[in-house]
This record gives sequence, structure tokens and C-alpha cells, in this order.
Amino acid sequence: MDAVEREVTVPAPPGEVWPAVTQSDEVSAWFGADAQLEVRPGGRGVFRWRDGTERHVVVEDVEPPRRLSFRWLPFQRTAAGEIVLVPSTRVEITLDEVPGGTRVRVVEQPAFSLGSPPARSGGRVLAAIGS
Amino acid sequence: MKRDRTDAIFTALADATRRQVIRALSEQGPATATGLAANLPVTRQAVTKHLSALAEAGLVTATRRGREKLYQISPRPLTDAVSWMADLGGRWDERLAALRDHIAAPRRRR
Repeated sequence: MDAVEREVTVPAPPGEVWPAVTQSDEVSAWFGADAQLEVRPGGRGVFRWRDGTERHVVVEDVEPPRRLSFRWLPFQRTAAGEIVLVPSTRVEITLDEVPGGTRVRVVEQPAFSLGSPPARSGGRVLAAIGS
Repeated sequence: MKRDRTDAIFTALADATRRQVIRALSEQGPATATGLAANLPVTRQAVTKHLSALAEAGLVTATRRGREKLYQISPRPLTDAVSWMADLGGRWDERLAALRDHIAAPRRRR
């Protein structure tokens, strides 16, 4: 099962792109969902789509202005208000300075393909579900 | 497509040996647990256990052959999993295009 890998080059330096991928109001402008993100390792986040779908994340790595990763928790609230299980995936966003701007690279893959999650991440995920 | 089914598939494929079993079945065609164990670094008993997990997720089907079962890949769920990944890729394409527009927009609000 391969990872999903996508990239785009944007006309601004990494220092200016970083807020666009980490600040809730800016992320909400392009993600396709309203985002509330707490960008620190172990921070929580919630994405709410216009149709009512809601998904939660736990932030893992934060290295401004270069790397952000988070894990989608394995459930979502559907538009109908039901909680359903979905595959847990991990998203890593990296920013690299290139001529003319920044290359934004996204890798999303099933969380399992990284092997067993480190105990600290597993603990965070469980804590997030439990609270 | 039902997401909970995809979840079962990903869970079944979370194990490296189970992925090896799937690969072996796709390369050598239908096989018994004994036949698979001969080419894998695990016991026949372990292979049987993994095959049961894969069958539960609908990834393989079994037909009885003598005293043993003959296993083969059931392609449909794997197609589901692949299409789920494709769907995910499409969503990131849209998001990153929107991010580029957002960044490129002159005098965007900070």
C-alpha cells in the first residue's frame, strides 16, 4: 500500500508559507474545511467540513519553518452525526526553499506503514480519544 | 465505498507477514498454507493464522482441497483500498492548488 505523495511550488519563501500551513485561519482558507489547530507536539486539531463532517488530528512533529506532521484519528463524525471508524493516516508536510519560492510536499499514508507507532504517539492518540 | 471496510483492509495489511502472504499469492497464484509456508520465513501454523485474518477482511477466499484449503486473492477489496488512496490523492491535489492560490493572492490578509 503506497503512500499518497503530492507537491506544489508556491511563490513565497518557507518563512511565509509556514503560517499558511499552521495557523488555523490560514489553513481554513485552502484546506476545504474549517481548521482549529494547536500546533505543538501532542496538540489537538479539529477539521469541520461544510457538510458537517468532522475529523480530529493529533499534531506530532513541529519544526518551523520546515516540517509539520499530524495523525488523523481513526474516526469521523459524519454529516448525519454518526461516529464511524475510518483508516488512521499520518500526514507530513515539508517546506523546501526552491528558486522562485517553496516546494510544499505532502505525504499521507496509513499510520501502520511506519511500523508500530512510538509509545509516545500512541499515548497521545489514546489521550486524545479519551478526553 | 464503505470506509469501515477499507479500515478492516488496512488493519489486515498492517502486518508485514500478511503483506508477504498477499504478495506471494499474487505472484504464484492460488496456494495452500503449506505451499506458502515453504517460501516464507514463518511456520505453516503462522501462515494459517494470517490467512484467516486476511479472509476475515475479505482479502483472500478459501476453497477446500482435500484436507487443506486452497487460498486465492480476492481482488475487489484491494481495488477498494487502491481507490481510497486515489481519492485521497485527488483531495490533496485540490488542497495544494488552493494553497498555491492562497499564497499567490496579492496582499493576502495576515
